[in-house]
Amino acid sequence: MELNDILQNAVAGVSIGATYGLIGLGVVFLWQSINRINFANISSAMLSVYLFFAFNTLAGLPYIPSFIASIALVAVYGLFLRYLIYEPITRKGGGRLEFVVATLMLCVFWLSVINAVFGGLPKPFPPVFGDPSHLVHFGGLSLPGVYLWIFLVVVILIGFLHFLLRKTLIGKKLRATAQNKEAAELMGINVNLTTSLAFVLATTLVGTAGILLAPVYFVSLELGGGSIGVKGFASAVMGGLIDPYGAILGGVTIGIIENFSILFISSTYKDIIAFVVLVTVLLWKPRGIFNWISKGD
Amino acid sequence: MRRNLKKIFIATFSLILLVLPFLFRNDYQVYVMNRALIHVILASGLVFLTGFAGQISLGQAGFYALGAYTSAILTSRLGVPIPLGIASGVLLSTVAGLVLAVPSFKLKAFFLSLVTIAFGQIVWLLLLNLDSLTGGPGGLFSIPMMRFGSFVFTNTAYYYLFLIFTVLTVEIMRRIKFSHIGRQLFAVNDDEIAAETCGIDSRKAKVFAFGFSAGLAGLAGGFYAHMAGFLTPEPFVFFESSNFVAMAVLGGLRRLCGGVIGGVTLTWLPELLRLNIRGFENYYLIINAGIVILIVVFLPNGLGEKLFALLGKLWKEDPQHETLRSGVDRRGKLQ
Repeated sequence: MELNDILQNAVAGVSIGATYGLIGLGVVFLWQSINRINFANISSAMLSVYLFFAFNTLAGLPYIPSFIASIALVAVYGLFLRYLIYEPITRKGGGRLEFVVATLMLCVFWLSVINAVFGGLPKPFPPVFGDPSHLVHFGGLSLPGVYLWIFLVVVILIGFLHFLLRKTLIGKKLRATAQNKEAAELMGINVNLTTSLAFVLATTLVGTAGILLAPVYFVSLELGGGSIGVKGFASAVMGGLIDPYGAILGGVTIGIIENFSILFISSTYKDIIAFVVLVTVLLWKPRGIFNWISKGD
Repeated sequence: MRRNLKKIFIATFSLILLVLPFLFRNDYQVYVMNRALIHVILASGLVFLTGFAGQISLGQAGFYALGAYTSAILTSRLGVPIPLGIASGVLLSTVAGLVLAVPSFKLKAFFLSLVTIAFGQIVWLLLLNLDSLTGGPGGLFSIPMMRFGSFVFTNTAYYYLFLIFTVLTVEIMRRIKFSHIGRQLFAVNDDEIAAETCGIDSRKAKVFAFGFSAGLAGLAGGFYAHMAGFLTPEPFVFFESSNFVAMAVLGGLRRLCGGVIGGVTLTWLPELLRLNIRGFENYYLIINAGIVILIVVFLPNGLGEKLFALLGKLWKEDPQHETLRSGVDRRGKLQ
C-alpha cells in the first residue's frame, strides 16, 4: 500500500462524494420547501447528461453553450415538476404517499423515455475534463486530473451556493421559507416564488452533479436510477435532510468510505456500502450526523 | 330490484372469475392473469401495511425475492416438497418483515421508506453476488413445477390455486380489519400517541402489520418461483417494489380490494399496451408510467374508490357503509 494509492483514492472519494452531496442538496432543498421527498430526484442528473450529450456530440455545439442549454432545460423541468406533478396532487387532496408514487413513476417514465430515444447502451462522454487516464503530477505524486477538475467545479458551485444562501436577499428569503412558511409569508416574502426557486435549484444542482459524474459513469441509464440516487438520499439524510452543508459533508463521507472499501475489501459490495451507511445513520441518529441547523431545538 | 341487481352482478362476476382461463385466447394470457393474481396477493399485503397500519415499504420486492429464492433453493437442491418449500419461504420473509419493523418504532414515513429501499437493494445485490447459492445474474433453473399425484400443474391449474389463495387473503384481511387488531392498526395509523394512551401497543401493531405483509410477499414469491420454473434477479429490482406500491395506491389504500384492483390493472396495462399496438415495443413502458402518473395525480383516492362510487350509484346504496371509517378524510395523515 503506497501513499500514492491512498492519496489517489482520497482525492477520487472526496470529489465523487462531493457530487453525491450535490445530489443530496436536491433532496434537501425540496424537503425544506415542500416537506416531500422527490424520488425522481436523480432523473434530473440523467436528463442533463443526455441533453448535454445531444447538444455537444450530436448537434456539435461547444461545451459551454451545451452546458448552459442543458442546465436551462433542466431548470424548466423543475418548474414542470412543480406545476404538473406537485401542485395538482396537492390540489386534488393527495397526500405524501401519492407524491412518492408519482415521482417514482416519473423516474421510470424518464428512464424509459431515454431508453427509447437514445437506446440502453452506455455512450462515451465527451472529454470535457480531459482524458480520464491523464494524470497530474505533484512532485512525486500523480493524481487523475478528472477528479481534480470535478472537485474544483464542486468547490466553485458550493461557494456560489454559500454566497446565494447567506449573502443575498433571495437566499435569506429561501432560508426564511424553509424555517417557517407561514411566518415568512407574514413578513411579506413571496412564498410562491421561493418554492419555485427551490424546485429549480434542486433540479439544476442535481443536473450539474450528473454532468460532473458523467466522465466516471459514462452517458448511461445508470445515472437515472438505482444506486446513485440512494447515495444522494444517504448524503441528504446525514445532513438531517435540512442542512445543506451537512449534506455535502455527508456525500464526501460516503465517497471516501466507498473508495476505501473498494481498496481494502472488494468492489463487488461497493454499492452495499452506501445502503449500510444509510441504515446505520437512520437507526443511530435519525436527525442526521452533520446537522447543525436543528441542533438547537 | 336494485338489491337483485347487486346479487346478479356479484354472481356474474364470480362466474366469470371461475371460467376465466377458458375465455382467454392463449396460454400466455392465462400466464399473465396468474402473474396478476400473484401481484394481487402482494399488493394486498401493501394495502394492509400502508393503508391500514400507516407504515410504508419500498422494499417489498426484497420479501418477494426471499420467498421465491428460499422455496426454489429448498425444493430444487434439497428435494423438499413444494408446499413445505413455500411455507419456509413465507416463514423466512415473515421473520425478515418482523426485523424490518424495528426501525419503524423510531422512524416516520420517508426515513422508513429509505430503510426499506436499502433492505430491498441489499437483498437484490446479494441475489446478484452470492453466485453459489442464488446462481447470480444467470439465475436458478429447473425449479420443480407443482404436481398433484401424476398431474403436473398447467397455467390453468395455477390460476385456480392462486384464485383460492387470493380469495383467502382478502377474506383474512377483511376479518382482521373488522377485528380488534384491525381497529388497533387504524388507531395507530390515525394518531400513534392517542392510540398509546388508550392502551394500544403501537409497536406490536406495527410488528404485526410488517410481518403479515412480508409473509404475503413471501407467499407470492414462492408461487412465482414454481409457476415460472426459473428465477433471475430481474423481477426483484427496486422498480418492482415501486410498482407494487403503485398498485396499492392506484387500487386505493383504504379499500380491502384496493390491492385486487391495482394488481390486476397494473399487470394487464403494460401487457395490453404491448400486445395490441404494433411497433410499440419501445414505447409501452413510457405510456404505462404516464398513465399511472395521471391516475395518481388526478384520482388520489385510487381507482377502487371511483369504481365503488359508480357501482354504488348503480344499486343506490351508500358504498361507504362497509368501510371501517366511512367518510373520514384522512388526507396527509401519513407523516
